[in-house]
Amino acid sequence: MHSSISQVDLQILLHEADIAARRLVRQLRLPRADLDDVRQDLLVDLIARLPAYDAERGTLGAFAGAILTNRATRIANKAKRERRMYGATPISLDEVIPESDGLTRGDLIAEADGLSALFGQPADAFAAAEHRLDVERGLGSLEPADGALCAALSRTTVDRLAAGGHGARSSLYRRVKDIRLALTAIGVRAA
Amino acid sequence: MNVIAPRLPAVRKPLTEIDLCGWVGQAAPGDILEYHRGFLALDTMPQGTRLAERERTELARVARRAWWAAERGLIHLVQRRHRSDDYSYLAIARPKPKLASVSLCSLLLAEAA
Repeated sequence: MHSSISQVDLQILLHEADIAARRLVRQLRLPRADLDDVRQDLLVDLIARLPAYDAERGTLGAFAGAILTNRATRIANKAKRERRMYGATPISLDEVIPESDGLTRGDLIAEADGLSALFGQPADAFAAAEHRLDVERGLGSLEPADGALCAALSRTTVDRLAAGGHGARSSLYRRVKDIRLALTAIGVRAA
Repeated sequence: MNVIAPRLPAVRKPLTEIDLCGWVGQAAPGDILEYHRGFLALDTMPQGTRLAERERTELARVARRAWWAAERGLIHLVQRRHRSDDYSYLAIARPKPKLASVSLCSLLLAEAA
């Protein structure tokens, strides 16, 4: 059963959405600039669900509260997923570095360093060469069949190797585990 | 009146295979690790009762890996006897051997062929 929304009710919804957005931004420690986007996200979802509001079942405030809570949870989960993938906070290449005469983050990273430099991974060519030498030394300590497996895994997955008849999936994973242990003992650092 | 607290034996978390490998990988020559205290032959027996099955299985892996590392010249294996059924099993890190490297490129080319 549909109910009409008065101007007063609309103001209440806007106010509730604003409070929910501020709470979410604070909890997730999002940049202040995200507040408007979060508020709009919450409002759009709430307005889209308004046709389902029935005044006989409860107050508009309770209805809005439930909708906003659910939407806020989904936004929070999405933010946490992105953080797991990309790190604690997203970085912008256009972000100006303080006390650097207007230099941006992008100005400090050479194009040759690649994407990994943006995420704080070492971009030192000497370190990369040493790591490669360590890897080759580690490969020399493996059985030839395990070395071949390592080479194969550089271009395909265990599942595909198993599907191609190169061994059972479980035994391939066991070998990979064994190889990791052997390389760790040799002193080859994980990438 | 003074109360002397009883000396409790130190409780140590059993070493796992990855712990041992990690130690071997970063140990400096001469570093010593006690990778087991007890009697390995008994402690790894399937019929043994000194350890739970899970711990026994992991200990067997640790012992095999220690032997593997010794065969590759990464560690020396020694034992210190305390009693007839109580030994300290020690791994002493050796200088990393100059292993023959395998060229990554040749490995990848061979695989692609």
